[in-house]
Amino acid sequence: MLFALALLGICFAFAFPVLWLILTSLRPESGVYYVHRGSEFTLGNFAEVLREERMVEAFVNSALIATLATFFSLLVTVSSGYMLSRFRGPASRTWFGTIYVFRCVPYISWVLPLYFVAQSWGIYDTYIGLLLPHIAVHICFFSWLMKGFFDGIDPSMEHAALIDGCTRWGAFLRVALPSALPAISALAVLCWLFTWNEFLFALILTGNRVPVITVVMAQFVTEMGLRWNLMAATAVMALLPAFLLALFGQKYVIRGLRI
Amino acid sequence: MAPALRPMFGEQQRFMLFLITPAALLLLLFQVVPIVIGANASFRDWALYNPKKIWVGLDHYRAVIADPAFLEVVLPNTFVFMAVSVMGALILGLALALLLNRPFRGQKLVQTVLLVPLMVAPVIAAIMMRWMFNDQFGIVNAVLEGLGVEGQPWLVERWSAFGVILLTDIWLWTPWFTLLLLAGLQSLPKEPFEAAAIDGTTVWRVFRHLTLPMLRPVIVVCVVIRAIDAFRTFDIVWTLTGGGPGRATELFSLYAYVHAFLNLDLGRGSAAAIIGGVIILVVGVALYRLVDRVAKA
Repeated sequence: MLFALALLGICFAFAFPVLWLILTSLRPESGVYYVHRGSEFTLGNFAEVLREERMVEAFVNSALIATLATFFSLLVTVSSGYMLSRFRGPASRTWFGTIYVFRCVPYISWVLPLYFVAQSWGIYDTYIGLLLPHIAVHICFFSWLMKGFFDGIDPSMEHAALIDGCTRWGAFLRVALPSALPAISALAVLCWLFTWNEFLFALILTGNRVPVITVVMAQFVTEMGLRWNLMAATAVMALLPAFLLALFGQKYVIRGLRI
Repeated sequence: MAPALRPMFGEQQRFMLFLITPAALLLLLFQVVPIVIGANASFRDWALYNPKKIWVGLDHYRAVIADPAFLEVVLPNTFVFMAVSVMGALILGLALALLLNRPFRGQKLVQTVLLVPLMVAPVIAAIMMRWMFNDQFGIVNAVLEGLGVEGQPWLVERWSAFGVILLTDIWLWTPWFTLLLLAGLQSLPKEPFEAAAIDGTTVWRVFRHLTLPMLRPVIVVCVVIRAIDAFRTFDIVWTLTGGGPGRATELFSLYAYVHAFLNLDLGRGSAAAIIGGVIILVVGVALYRLVDRVAKA
């Protein structure tokens, strides 16, 4: 009994802020200041947010960048993780040391100067200028995770394939890769979520031409701080894709979180 | 017939090189190059509105290190934030993991609920908390007033604002600790616990002398990863308080950002970013060594 109550309390504590946000998003402008009283509810806030072109554009941009970043990020980190897992020796050790050190470097230390690097390369405030850093940022962590996943897969099948005359690429692509698919799915879900939720990169590397949802929301707070019903509606819509992904990919998310 | 040209690397080396080249190239272009260029900028007069790019040596570094705002506010804030948010989330997360480490109905549901904060973007978490702790219309003050306690202007005072920031961060990260530690608990061998149960050992002693030592490696990895990430926290502080009131809740990332993009001094901002990077590398290595030793002891 006590245990059940504790569980209920824990669930409530972790879900409450989100529930409160959802409730706020359903209140009309007049009711938003007393969310806990009154009983008028409306979907008008969502409609009003979606009427703003910039909002819709931001949602589309965020989804596009998250999807592309996930694809390319996996492309480069799966192979790098495979190398770390299957080969020993100085090359492997050096690469591992490098990604370990760069994992520790705070984002601001490279994104801040990337601002003027991007400008001199002419990719400031463009899709590509936002996409490439988003791919680069996960290299360290995901190579590390991927190494761990490959370590858990027995390499004897690949050895057998090599002896049967398979090339190294064949052994990697046709033997190792299929057995790593669950792990790759886990990383894909994580990568999509991280990119969708990321804020600092877009804040520094984009201006007005590539709005993304997190930046638009943060601007919203300071510019229209009093229109909490619209704010909440936007936030709920930004949460929705992440929640759906997590709900359906729960198994993979959990696996991905296990370092 | 001329002998075929000997390849510079063996077949295996070429394969290894191919596997890491795309990743290494991206890392070089988007992290190494910016850091080098940022280091160069940190030695120059690089105002955004008028980048003269004159060499000024260590002036920016001196300015940052001598800045009372950096020494007396930003650095202590960053370390207090790191310590409290990691310890808070670790202790809460461990307690929850211990509580949940038993079969019960609805386990799946609790797991799903615990995943919720992990899906929430830090920006959105900060917006939610900002709304809940709003001084006039927030639910927190409404509840307090219902209980007969006077509502607080939470985000206007330094320490209460800092408290809200910490609360947001702990809310975001406790579930991560819980899920990882729960996985760790479930993979522990059963026999020692059964033996302890037969001997009638108290719960506390089982925890202190069995669970904790066996769980230590997982805890160590979690703490190191989280501590390094906590050091660079930006989103929640930026959205909750913008570093305010005044500059009282600024963390290191905000300090570098404010100098580069609000005061338009990229030179000084870059210097701050590099100082922060060096600090975390030193702290990271020290932390790793320390916990590594504790883990082996």
